[in-house]
Amino acid sequence: MKRLLTALMSITLAISAASAWAQLTIEISQGADNPTAIAVVPFAWQGVGVAPEEIASIVDGDLARSGQFAPIARADMLGNPTTEAEVFYRDWRSLSAEYLLIGRVSSEPNVLRVDYELFDVLRQAKVLTGYESGPASDARMLAHRVADAVYEKLTGVPGAFATKLLYISVDRVPGSNDYSRLTMSDSDGARPIVLFDTHEPLLTPTWSPDGKHIAYVSFETGRPAIYRQEIATGQREQLTNFSGLNSSPAWSPDGKTMAMVLSKDGNADIYLMDLATKKLTQLTRHYAIDTEPAWMPDGRSLLFTSDRGGKPQIYRYDLSSGKTDRVTYEGTYNARARVSQDGRSVVMVHQAEGRFHIAVLDLVTNRMQILTSTDLDESPSIAPNGSMVLYATKYQDRSILAAVAVDGEAKFRLPASKGDVREPAWSPYLAR
Amino acid sequence: MPRIILRPALVTLLIHGLLLYLLTANWETTEREIIRAKPTPNVINARLVDISEISKPKAAPPKPKAVTVKPKSKPKATPPKPKAVTPTPKPAPPKPNPIPKPKSKPTPAKLTPPQQSNRDAFAAIVHDELATADAQQQATVTAGEMSASFVSLIQRTVVNYWSRPPSARNGMECELSIQLIPTGEVVNVTLVRSSGNSAFDSSAINAVQKAGAFPELQNLPSREFEKNFRRLTLIFKPEDLRY
Repeated sequence: MKRLLTALMSITLAISAASAWAQLTIEISQGADNPTAIAVVPFAWQGVGVAPEEIASIVDGDLARSGQFAPIARADMLGNPTTEAEVFYRDWRSLSAEYLLIGRVSSEPNVLRVDYELFDVLRQAKVLTGYESGPASDARMLAHRVADAVYEKLTGVPGAFATKLLYISVDRVPGSNDYSRLTMSDSDGARPIVLFDTHEPLLTPTWSPDGKHIAYVSFETGRPAIYRQEIATGQREQLTNFSGLNSSPAWSPDGKTMAMVLSKDGNADIYLMDLATKKLTQLTRHYAIDTEPAWMPDGRSLLFTSDRGGKPQIYRYDLSSGKTDRVTYEGTYNARARVSQDGRSVVMVHQAEGRFHIAVLDLVTNRMQILTSTDLDESPSIAPNGSMVLYATKYQDRSILAAVAVDGEAKFRLPASKGDVREPAWSPYLAR
Repeated sequence: MPRIILRPALVTLLIHGLLLYLLTANWETTEREIIRAKPTPNVINARLVDISEISKPKAAPPKPKAVTVKPKSKPKATPPKPKAVTPTPKPAPPKPNPIPKPKSKPTPAKLTPPQQSNRDAFAAIVHDELATADAQQQATVTAGEMSASFVSLIQRTVVNYWSRPPSARNGMECELSIQLIPTGEVVNVTLVRSSGNSAFDSSAINAVQKAGAFPELQNLPSREFEKNFRRLTLIFKPEDLRY
């Protein structure tokens, strides 16, 4: 009997002792959020002649501009592996690289193929492998797609490097009108192509949701009119020809409707045009100026700028109820809103202490954060993945394009051609 | 009642009672005691809880930056300055009558009499630490104190190395089990519970891998190491992100 009891007791004790042995748990609730160190090794060229582009340096540049990555300088690399067998993790670990990207570029007639492999240096494992192929003339786009794949794998957010930018560049012509060009470039500013040029002003270029068309305001007839243009063919169509203002075209997310600002009845108000029938619907009726419409991604409401409260502020118009409510309260001037794809962040021009900055408003927390420290910032446009905001600013007495990460950490200027560069518009994701 | 019935009845009762105790005993106490690294500016709310000390007063209150045990050697360059945890040492609050350091008494309970509030205990420990700063500290610091300071050291190191991806959101949570050896080296990191976001999980694993080792743990008595530090659970749960 006693023995049985003793045995039972000792079992109980053993079990409680085991529970006392339970693991120590440490909770980590904050981080340092430094850029991830990645080594992008020059890709091996296996084609004939000279490689059309240096793929690795384009990928490297894309990742660095995002602010999320800190690429390792090539001069520091202890080797240039181009295949998995040549990878020595120790070499990369000693450089504090967290990830390693290697690749090979090969060419068949008219087709370029980029194979890449991404390694996790700390865990010593391959985490991504893939390839991109396309015409040799599109080598830069292939590199941007590689950067997109790496970015998405490591950040959990799709990359937006394989996208395009639209902007207006203006050259002063002595003794004549300014020369305006509507230009499209890669997301890093490379490969600019002029889509339309005129000696009259061009304004507010914008993209269709499928990225195949653009719309803009041109004064080529002597007064403003909204034009739609197909990028591939260059075919143009004049959508409006009303007296007064015809401005700020904005495609609805389904691509069927265009919001615009017209003052044909004497005062600037927001209208919708059905693009198939060209039928107009007036949305706002107010003696104040209503302008700069921007669609919410769900297509159910629009943001716009109005001075109905005395100063320009952002308002929201709900299409189903026809109601208007005010969105911004902070600051004396908020204008030209653009909404992120997730519908959560609104970027805008915000005036603080007499200076014009780009600010982002979180629609959930209602917190406004100023992103830029420059002056006279205008025309913000948000990347389709919501990570960066492109805007126009003044630099050395010229108008240039700059970009800032939505968290405000990373900033860069786009390589500027001569003249002034204004009104950037970041494309949506583009179909291949 | 005849003894022949009474005895088995008693035994049965006892066995049932034991079983009931085992079933209802609060197993959670040890399992769920989580040591948090909160975004408080100067003090990390680290608490080391050990079942053997649960009956005693709070033995190891939060530690300031003035960690008693200085790193013997750094394996890498010092990590960049964290955003929230400022490394400025908090000056010890003046304390007229510091409790004398019991050189021969090893338990932390002796250091902090039960009637003292946590704050006083904290002040006393800080004061003591500063007073004996250049003396041979390891010998005088109790195991409980050391464990607490190592916990906060591990926290701070991992926080410094943790770079969250932009897809990370407050409230995401993943759990790692890490294995250490007495040199302080991390020999194994396993993802026990995923956050559902692989970039987030990787960032947590990489934070531990980048830290690589906590060589300061060499200063822990081996009993203490075996008890609390050979296997650790780390929960990554950001609270300081934009959203």
